[in-house]
Amino acid sequence: MGADLFSIGRSSLRTSKRSLETTSHNIANSNTEGYSRQRITAESNTPIGEGDYVLGTGVNVRSVKRVHDRLVEKKLNSSLSQHKFNEERGYQLGRVEEIFNEINSDGLNKVLNRFFNSFRELSNQPENEVVRSMVRDNATLVVSDFKRISESITMVKESVDSKITASVDEINSMGGSIASLNKEIIRLENLGGETGDLRDQRDELVRNLSEYFTLQTYEDNQGQYIVNVVGVGSLVSGGTTTSLKAINTAGNNAQNEGRIEIYLDGKGNAPVTERLKAGTLGAMVKTRNEDIEDLRENLNTLAHGLVHTTNAIHRRGYTNDRLATDQQGNVIIPRNKKVTNINFFKEPLDVKNASEFISISDEVKEDLNNIATGLAPNSPGDNRIAIAISKLQHEKVLGGGTTTFEESYQKSVGKIGLATAKSKIDFEQSGGILAQAKSIKERISGVSIDEETANMVKYQHAYDASARMIKTADEMFDSVIGMMR
Amino acid sequence: MGRVSEASSFHAINHSVGKTKQRLENLQLKGSNLKRVQKPSDDPIGNVELLAIRSQEVDAKQYLRNVSYAKAQLTFTENAIEELTDILVKAKEIAIGQSSNLFGEDVRRSVAKEVQQLRKQALSISNRRLGNKYIFGGFKNLTKPFNANGTYNGDDNQTKLEVAKDFYVPVNFSGREVFFDKLSTSLDQSGPLDSTNLQQRPAVNTEDASIPFADEEPVIQRDPASLAGYVPKEKAPINKSIFQELETLNNALLTNNFEIIQDLLPNLDEGINRLIELRTKIGSTINSIDNAEQSIEKTKLLNAEYRTRIEDADVAELFTDLNRQQNVLNATYKSSAQLMNASLLDFIR
Repeated sequence: MGADLFSIGRSSLRTSKRSLETTSHNIANSNTEGYSRQRITAESNTPIGEGDYVLGTGVNVRSVKRVHDRLVEKKLNSSLSQHKFNEERGYQLGRVEEIFNEINSDGLNKVLNRFFNSFRELSNQPENEVVRSMVRDNATLVVSDFKRISESITMVKESVDSKITASVDEINSMGGSIASLNKEIIRLENLGGETGDLRDQRDELVRNLSEYFTLQTYEDNQGQYIVNVVGVGSLVSGGTTTSLKAINTAGNNAQNEGRIEIYLDGKGNAPVTERLKAGTLGAMVKTRNEDIEDLRENLNTLAHGLVHTTNAIHRRGYTNDRLATDQQGNVIIPRNKKVTNINFFKEPLDVKNASEFISISDEVKEDLNNIATGLAPNSPGDNRIAIAISKLQHEKVLGGGTTTFEESYQKSVGKIGLATAKSKIDFEQSGGILAQAKSIKERISGVSIDEETANMVKYQHAYDASARMIKTADEMFDSVIGMMR
Repeated sequence: MGRVSEASSFHAINHSVGKTKQRLENLQLKGSNLKRVQKPSDDPIGNVELLAIRSQEVDAKQYLRNVSYAKAQLTFTENAIEELTDILVKAKEIAIGQSSNLFGEDVRRSVAKEVQQLRKQALSISNRRLGNKYIFGGFKNLTKPFNANGTYNGDDNQTKLEVAKDFYVPVNFSGREVFFDKLSTSLDQSGPLDSTNLQQRPAVNTEDASIPFADEEPVIQRDPASLAGYVPKEKAPINKSIFQELETLNNALLTNNFEIIQDLLPNLDEGINRLIELRTKIGSTINSIDNAEQSIEKTKLLNAEYRTRIEDADVAELFTDLNRQQNVLNATYKSSAQLMNASLLDFIR
């Protein structure tokens, strides 16, 4: 009987100590990212029947479990991917937007406008050398701004490409860690060990992975933990991983302008880049493949249209050179010098890259007199070519005759502005949703110091009482032994 | 009862402080330069409107330059024609005075000297320049339009300026028109590009870049008369020029032939009338330029107002918001501090 008192006391001491240990573990990890608080599940020992009585035999610790809700975790991961998507998209679009920000500085809209107005000024004084050089200077500004924009866009695209490559490396290493955790968890569980901390670590890895794209996780019927990239395929399946590969489509040829595409190792030759949903990768791919491509195309169309329409008019004009005439008063076109049919800009080969390769023609670069103003030869007062070029400003020549140059550019800027503004609003919204999901998760799984303090007091009392119990049992024993003396 | 953990209250604090600070930062940025729009995404539509307005403003500035340029040139031309009218009026007075045989040969000879002087004056007017440009030379405005015999070397083209969008005014008159005879085209209101095909071009087809404008390029020929849009007017019928009239008057005076002088009178009258008509036309052109100028100025004003409305921050509203957001932030700090510093541990000894 007395021995029972000791063993009940001992079980109680042990349980209280375990509880205090768990409390201490919780407090120690109260700031650990992804840690779920742990709880002891204690149960009373199997009672012993003794005649009519049923006697309790103390307590034992059945398990230490983490407090965790799988659905909340899922919700948190999906809102994280969405939020990361909006964040990354806002960041990338913000960089693109800055290229087109003309509010406190000069941009293409302004230099294009100045270009046309300099021709308007030239129509006032077609014979004036100073105005001619102003025309050429303004044309140079147009050329360099086309180049600036084109180069800046390429820079954003290249930084996206290198970020994609770096992300793929990180994803693969996380996939590897998840696979080895999977193995470790299965091994420990087969031995009957506790795996709460390891599961926390795995969940944390999956959450980090969710920043890149939307994931799906589940355990199949053999107990294998599977991580699926939505729209692509499984990345981790139990202890094995399938790695992603980032490959530049340009190959080894440095001349080609390629881009980074993502492939799933051993799963066909088609890239999976555009199938990735949400997350930073989804955002980068969308910005690169849609917004940036779109802008580049518009810009090239603009540059190409400007060059061709300006040239078509300019070629019909005559230079400022004084030409000899024959007896009938007809102009003799000199053989050794071009006096008409001169391009103002260099003719680009095609629309693609027009904004990158736009430049002023050699003739105009060499001699200001080669800027044609008159439709008729020997007519220094003829301003019709200058007027016609300045009129291009208001002519609807792009988009199949629906927009002017400036309108087309403004439309591009408007589009990027709208997309950026939308991503900002989306970002704020998804930030709210994410904060909510996080707070729900933390309310369930997070450590509350107050709670742990209360528990600590509670378990300490229980421990003290158990110790007292054993002492009492000891005294009882002593009394009995004393009687025998 | 909702459970509150350390991390959940930490996230809540983080989120609310972050949000408030972000708003405050945006307001501060606006307050720093009093602009409502900092980047396109602040107001995508407004930004595009802003770009368009700025373009219009620069255009308006240029059109105003064109206006003052056109006005200067027309006023200068008008002054020249006025002087020319005075010469013809004087010549007419002389002709009337000398149309009878009242005066003797000596008088006529000295009067003839005066007429020669008048002819010289007329010739200097005909070669008058504004800057380095001869005003009566047509398109050939860098070469002397009249030689000493009064032969015209210029052409009959008019330089036209665009003083408002699609509104063109002629700014010079050919020597033939002023010194010889009325031209049917004088001061016509057509645009300078109307008779050319410079503006008839198809929209740029970027899909098919291989055929740019090469097709519609004009074939350049040697004969300028065949150039599209270049209509020569050299062969217009020529009446007697002012110089010839003065010459005739001079000769008649020297030869004492007053009948010729009498015949000359209607010719001189016709010349004076023609010049007066030209001056009237110049006056009405300047008037229409003034009107255009006024409407440009008005649009400029409206644009400026519209632009401020899009671009500039409402100062009162901005600073009220700034104040309010500051208060919100302070309140957030205060409440956060209370949440963060309270602990059960403080009460357990």
